[in-house]
Amino acid sequence: MKLHRRHVLGMGAAFVARPVFALGRDDMAREIVLTWHRLVLELVRHTATYSPPVAARAFGYLGVVTHETLAAIDPALSSLGGQLNGFSAPARQSEPVDKATALHHALSVAVLALFGNTGPIGQRAHGALSARLGARAEEGLEAEIVARSAALGRGVAEHLLAWAATDGGAVIENMGFALDYPIPARPEDWLPTSLVQQHQMPLLPEWGKIRPFAMPSGSACSISSHPEYDTEPGSEFYLAALEVVEVKANLTEEQALIARFWSDDPMLSPTPPGHWLSILIDIADRDSVSVELLAGALARLGAAQADAFIACWEAKYAYNLLRPVTYIRRHIDPDWTPLLNTPPFPEYPSGHSTQSGASAEVLTAIFGEDFAFDDHTHVDDGLPVRSFPSFWAAAEEAAMSRLYGGIHFRFGNEAGTEQGRCVGAYAAALRTTA
Amino acid sequence: MRFLAFAAALLALPAFAEPVIPEFTDETATAGLWTVYDGDWDYMVGGGVAVFDCSGNGFPDLFLAGGAGPSALYLNRSSEGGPLSFERSDAITLDAVIGAYPLDIDGDGVIDLVVLRQGANRLLRGLGDCQFEDANDAWGFDGGDGWSTAFSATWEQGAEWPTLAIGNYIDRNEDAFPWGSCTENWLHRPDGRRFGPPIALTPSHCALSMLFTDWNRSGRPSLRVSNDREYYKGGQEQLWHIEPDQPPRLYTEDEGWQRLRIWGMGIAAADLTGNGLPEFFLTSMADNWLQVLRDPMSGRPEYVNLAFQAGVTAHRPYTGGDIRPSTAWHPQFADVNNDGRLDLFIAKGNVAEMPDFAADDPNNLLLQTSEGLFIEAGERAGVASMGISRGAQLVDLNLDGQLDLVVVNRWTQAEIWRQTGAPAGNWLQIRLGQDGANRDAIGAVVEILRNERLESYEVTSGGGHVSGALGWLHFGLGEAETVDLRVIWPDGEAGAWQEVAANRFLILRRDAAAEPWLPE
Repeated sequence: MKLHRRHVLGMGAAFVARPVFALGRDDMAREIVLTWHRLVLELVRHTATYSPPVAARAFGYLGVVTHETLAAIDPALSSLGGQLNGFSAPARQSEPVDKATALHHALSVAVLALFGNTGPIGQRAHGALSARLGARAEEGLEAEIVARSAALGRGVAEHLLAWAATDGGAVIENMGFALDYPIPARPEDWLPTSLVQQHQMPLLPEWGKIRPFAMPSGSACSISSHPEYDTEPGSEFYLAALEVVEVKANLTEEQALIARFWSDDPMLSPTPPGHWLSILIDIADRDSVSVELLAGALARLGAAQADAFIACWEAKYAYNLLRPVTYIRRHIDPDWTPLLNTPPFPEYPSGHSTQSGASAEVLTAIFGEDFAFDDHTHVDDGLPVRSFPSFWAAAEEAAMSRLYGGIHFRFGNEAGTEQGRCVGAYAAALRTTA
Repeated sequence: MRFLAFAAALLALPAFAEPVIPEFTDETATAGLWTVYDGDWDYMVGGGVAVFDCSGNGFPDLFLAGGAGPSALYLNRSSEGGPLSFERSDAITLDAVIGAYPLDIDGDGVIDLVVLRQGANRLLRGLGDCQFEDANDAWGFDGGDGWSTAFSATWEQGAEWPTLAIGNYIDRNEDAFPWGSCTENWLHRPDGRRFGPPIALTPSHCALSMLFTDWNRSGRPSLRVSNDREYYKGGQEQLWHIEPDQPPRLYTEDEGWQRLRIWGMGIAAADLTGNGLPEFFLTSMADNWLQVLRDPMSGRPEYVNLAFQAGVTAHRPYTGGDIRPSTAWHPQFADVNNDGRLDLFIAKGNVAEMPDFAADDPNNLLLQTSEGLFIEAGERAGVASMGISRGAQLVDLNLDGQLDLVVVNRWTQAEIWRQTGAPAGNWLQIRLGQDGANRDAIGAVVEILRNERLESYEVTSGGGHVSGALGWLHFGLGEAETVDLRVIWPDGEAGAWQEVAANRFLILRRDAAAEPWLPE
């Protein structure tokens, strides 16, 4: 049976009810990490600030908090201090520490800070979960151990949060939508695609300038230009747009399902980076992976996703390319409508493709090629489980889903996937073991 | 594709004539309403007001939800055209009240009250002279044990009693993890002169507004449900077939219904386009929605959103300096300045302390221009309250022909404004009456022919945000001194056209000439 986010607290309650001897400290530590991450997948969905780039950033820091807490305890692990941009290793603790308790306190502090914009219900859920998990983790431990472990966890979290505060992405105003944006000067420039008033300005035009985690700069994985803008029938650009029209016209049920499965709309889902986080959580749960492996994977996946959005956004606003719906209505079919709602920012490259490529690169490095898994991300929303033979198979499907949904040209998806491969390689190269 | 013509007309108008700005005077301090919509997280939605004449003197009385605090019935002691004055009554002492709607359920000519609550909902039978008795048991009504946040009523074909739809919100026992815990909405169909067991309207997606509306003028109202995406999983806005003697059935994408997922909080309906069919305004967070049928001739419930073109997105505060997005609750169309054009009021206020949304979120008063656009006039009209508003009603409380305003606020006293400016146009207020069942003719359509334009108004029970009224129907007439008027009664029978003079109260009964009525 798969546990869904809806059951997080139910599971937490069951977890709390289990006898002390039934769960080893390593298992308990893993359950604590998984439970907190399941909660944040809900908080992301229900907190308006968390557009995909902002969500990826928060996931990234949370993953690093998780790993660094263990690295401060376990000499077999390597801190990411000195490997991530501007990050120094937190102080290690040589006295006995309980990892489950330390992780709980680290994550409780970090979640509250990184998801602070959540509303009163989210705050309430945080408080309830913190109380339940904390009581369970600390049960039967000596007070001295509890105090030392809690202090370590809180200290690591505060160290991380101080670092996070300096990256340029900590403050989000107006849900990330610009308050001003240049009037289009070229025919290929991005234009708003919806009649939602808030979407008349694009999302996070400065996001490409914030400090990356693992890659050297926002432009470290630059992409080559898209096909030259051309309105002439038969031109490469025109044919790319025509393909979007023809795909929609001949869309199969399976393709429509794929489009919706990877739609991952903000505020209606855990967002695209949350989708990949959900995949990792499911695998960790299914395979009972060690908490050390899980923590390292969370850190590297989080870094890859956060960097993917920085790289992608840097390129999006450098190219500032219009969306298919704008071009198609101008030059092919004035009444054409895509299957999915077109996101309110430029097309090139596809953000989902970039971050899916980065995620696949990292997860393949951790779990290997041809690692099959089932994806339960949207079961609560009535979408089926999808099975994949490998992470790259999933990433490639995610990229194609944007063509099926009518919100990207094929070339935007392909460039995004390749950009993601480059971004992911930086995160995959991070050393998490000594 | 008439919507396109409507949209094109909106877009083609760079300039417009300024409508008359109504003038409101805040009489909160003196009117005698002291109710606060109070409570913790389990009262984060709700906060309604029911407007109806329980005394029989023609002046609307008010029942205000108090949430975790006391609710109260206020008897209207205002005089015609005078300051607003209310006296609190102890006739209704229910607690845990979310909202309420007036309705003559048993057809005895005395208005009853449907009270939505945390816990069992209550049907209060009106006894006259503003006295009530609990009728749940006598009427076989299962009040449930939920968190009820939406209501609408209709009389199905041939039924003596109404069918009640009640929307329920999240499971309040899931206090720490409520997401995905939406509870069942219920349909209470009559079984003779009482109610049968409730029928689940599943899937249910945390309804915050419901409205029976004959959206296609088929003679059989459907049920629109606006749902809060904050808490549902796999949900969307809904439209239900409600056919006599048939189980409820959702409209499907094959029938034209399109998936829309918003923080649905309130429904207002009115025929803005003049095509005889209602348009729907849906409140949400950030942008709000104005839905117009894509092709009225198709018979398909396929709507396009024209809020942007019409100027009613009302997505962020227009005054006060808070740039964060708004949170909208009760919407209501009414002709506030009597210029013959429907305006739009929207109650606004943060859920509680959601950091991403405006804390200072003024209520909107959007006035319709002669070109069909809407402009914001809340501040100039004097109703730009920064209270954390929820339910509301625009209603003529002192029977001077001009609409007044009452707004329920979370954690602070309800507010009330009297419209005090000089009349900007003529008006008409009517009550419908018929013998037997459905005495107030819920489901009727009032048609007014004015300046060679046919206006139609569907008489409904429900919608808004847990707030409703039953009583005088107010129509602004602009400069018209007389209009032609008729009623399409709920069974489809069309009454005769009558020429009526402006600026008066009329009672319209079937097969009878309009009866004038004067306030005493």
